[in-house]
Amino acid sequence: MAINLEVNGASYSVEVDPQTPLLWVIREQVGLTGTKFSCGIAQCGACTVHLDGVPLRSCRVPVVAAEGKSVTTIEGLSREGDHPVQVAWKEFDVPQCGYCQSGMIMASLALLEKNPNPTDAEIDTEITNICRCSTYHRVRQAIHRAAELMQTREA
Amino acid sequence: MSKPNSKVSQKNSATIDRREFLTTTGLATGAFVLGFWVPPKTADAAIIAGAPWYEEPEVQEINAWIVIDPDDMVTIRIAQTELGQGVWTSNAMMVCEELQCDWSKVQPQYASANRDARESAPEWTLDVMGDGAFDPIGGGEPLFRGREPVRGIPDSLYRRMRTNEASSVRDGRYYLQLAGAEVRERLLLAAAGQWGVPASELTAKDSVITHQQSSRTTTYGQVAYLATETPHPNPETINIKPPSEWTLMGKEQNNLDVPAKVTGELVYGIDVRMPGMKWAAVRACPVYGGDVKSYDFDAVRDQPGVQSAQQLPIPDPSLLRGRQFSGAVAVVADSWYQAKTALDQMPIEWDIPPQSATSNTADMHQELMDAMDQPGTVRVDEGNVDAATVSADKIVEATYSTPYLPRARMEPGNATALVTDGRVDIWLGDQSPQETRRSASVITGIPEENVYIHLCHLGGGFGRNGNGPQAEQTIMIANANRGTPIHLLWTREEDFVGTTYRAMGVARLRAGLDADGWPVALEVRTGMQEDGFGPTSSFNDTSRYYVPNYRFTNHMTQFHIPCGTRRGVGQAAHEFYRETFIDELARTAGKDPYLYRRELIARTDLPHRDDMIRALDMVAEMSDWGSPLPEGKARAIALEEKGAEASGTATISAMVHTVSVSREGVVRLDRVDVALDQGFSLINPLSVKKQLEGQIVWFYNDAMHQANTVLNGRIVENNFDRFSVSRIKEDPPEINIQFFETGHWMRGMGHDRATSVQSGIGDAIFQITGKRFRDLPFSQHDLSWG
Repeated sequence: MAINLEVNGASYSVEVDPQTPLLWVIREQVGLTGTKFSCGIAQCGACTVHLDGVPLRSCRVPVVAAEGKSVTTIEGLSREGDHPVQVAWKEFDVPQCGYCQSGMIMASLALLEKNPNPTDAEIDTEITNICRCSTYHRVRQAIHRAAELMQTREA
Repeated sequence: MSKPNSKVSQKNSATIDRREFLTTTGLATGAFVLGFWVPPKTADAAIIAGAPWYEEPEVQEINAWIVIDPDDMVTIRIAQTELGQGVWTSNAMMVCEELQCDWSKVQPQYASANRDARESAPEWTLDVMGDGAFDPIGGGEPLFRGREPVRGIPDSLYRRMRTNEASSVRDGRYYLQLAGAEVRERLLLAAAGQWGVPASELTAKDSVITHQQSSRTTTYGQVAYLATETPHPNPETINIKPPSEWTLMGKEQNNLDVPAKVTGELVYGIDVRMPGMKWAAVRACPVYGGDVKSYDFDAVRDQPGVQSAQQLPIPDPSLLRGRQFSGAVAVVADSWYQAKTALDQMPIEWDIPPQSATSNTADMHQELMDAMDQPGTVRVDEGNVDAATVSADKIVEATYSTPYLPRARMEPGNATALVTDGRVDIWLGDQSPQETRRSASVITGIPEENVYIHLCHLGGGFGRNGNGPQAEQTIMIANANRGTPIHLLWTREEDFVGTTYRAMGVARLRAGLDADGWPVALEVRTGMQEDGFGPTSSFNDTSRYYVPNYRFTNHMTQFHIPCGTRRGVGQAAHEFYRETFIDELARTAGKDPYLYRRELIARTDLPHRDDMIRALDMVAEMSDWGSPLPEGKARAIALEEKGAEASGTATISAMVHTVSVSREGVVRLDRVDVALDQGFSLINPLSVKKQLEGQIVWFYNDAMHQANTVLNGRIVENNFDRFSVSRIKEDPPEINIQFFETGHWMRGMGHDRATSVQSGIGDAIFQITGKRFRDLPFSQHDLSWG
């Protein structure tokens, strides 16, 4: 059956089993591979995207649940990597292997949109993505820096 | 040998003719250059843009490492694999340092493993030392004869295309510096020839060549075409810079691939897309050594998108360094989700070896413990341990255990392969492409010269890749579907089957102390399975801490779980045993663990003794060692070294871990202070800091959370719900790193630092709760107190 999706502002109509996880539709039918597969059980967060602005783990969400809603992936942040979160990530040279970082950035952005100046404790509660290289130390610093950059941009 | 011994149940033939396929893509994209096939750029332009794999250059290369475009853009070929350790940047820095090119116009690219099969290394690189080697002249200009031979394949073009043992810098620095210097000299010769002046009057900086006397300048891009035809008369006379003259290396450089990692554009193996590509999902027998008894493809063949099913034999262990994995079944479909869904529903019966069918952790652990009661293989026997122990004032004995541990990198195993009658193309992240090249040749019968490996960055490595059969399985499927690109992807659960493990290990340490609490005898017994890696690590040369009578024995068993080179290898477990035992001795003796270690190092005549003392002193000062802490908080110290008992290369560090344990038993690593030996100089200190931060948490996980257990022959914890990985909330809030210079070349940074988190947390738990735990992970114990 055809499912209508909006991904990063563009409309798609895809012919898939409606139970197909949103992740796979984004990666295969829509063709955006920045969102990663890792655990398949909504544990690690490598597949984090925003659905109507809310972060979720797309490996466990059937695509039909995204019908008519707006999906934002890492590719939707900026074309040139100049979104404040991406700028902060580059400033602190956060990624190591980088595989989890799309999800980490999307989770961090969702936190910053809800809470423009999160404390360390709030970061601890809200950021539950796994990074096996353990870039956590720089992720934390970059979230604080992104908060500054986002406030500057809005000011 | 042509096709593997496998059954293929074909639903319909979706294969495309190789010639038609190549013609179509070639015409559409102009991607054929010199007959070298690269992925089409139009079909998936957005995806392919972030691909780092080898492409034939549009202008001629100057040597096998360097291509310079007319606009001065320099392409540097990297023969190791980027898996987060920063080799993409540090290897490029080594070349650039000598090439003197503009660092802002450097573009790394993977070296071709195919060319490596077809071309020999230039003569002038053959004797350049690798493996850090002994460095009689202070890490500077290389001598060209009589060196330690390089390991790997010393006369193939890129010699050792393997990424392991934290050796990329150690193995590559001299010859990559020389590769850059050779091109620089040829550019200078070319410019000198053009201007009719001696090359010795020219200088090169940031890709600009200057002849001061005549105020003439040109750029690398302008003379590169001349340099391709200007051989150096005697490359062996070229000197490379000693560290004192470095301008780029030794300074923090942001990693060149980070921009592509924050936009999602970087292509990992899992992201590769090909025209006409089909997806394969695989299930292997979860008990290693097991095989497929039967499967019922008819039950799922009519599901949407499903193409075929195929039985995959147990991969030839000789392709996998002797490791035995399992037989498997693959389902091929239009999309991966379709393939996986059909595979999940397809009935499969396994043929499980009876001797493995009932094995479990408790019995295996007991077997290891029993082996330690038997005579073992004597590795070191200095003095008379038995006599000294009998006459000791006090005897301390402790038994330690460490579990099986996986790498669990974030990117599950995958590869894409296209086999046609004359050639194999494989796209994957791979820590050992030369071995994969051989696998492809053996499985398909196509010579290695016709195997093309398109390397991708890895989504984590930790020693994993090159161990498991992801490439072999993919090639088997692609070989049975010649002409169709096949993308194999493991689920996370399958990834835990397709990997090797760090061996489960045990150790019994027994020391005799004199009346002052100093050891007079030390006996170390360690046990692991025979194919475990690093059974002699940490204990084999002599005792790190001074003891006049020392014996070390190995007690080996055999288990069916395949073992591999996980980050830290055997050393990580052995450091936990040793440093914990030293803490126990210090506490028995009533002495400060820092000063106890310091004195026992000072009593040795080890070649790097003074650097080890320096590391301990430095970290003690950094951490304010000995200052009071509130209740529920404690510090622990440890020394880390690799190679320091022998002469030559070594990496030395000392760490202090400040730990709190709540009354409820919740452990927090609050602060880590690190004093790290930087040898002559680090290449990219930023990458070193990131490696340290990562390894602190890596070994925190080993200490606190992680274990794989075995039940009925299979690994129990096979996804992140049962296999625990710490999140940001457990990251130490404070990490302080300081480097100190020493006079030796370093062993490497990627895998054996911060092992002391394990003993450090253990000793802090002891200080706070009064409980000493000797088996990891600590989270299995009740850590509450008060």
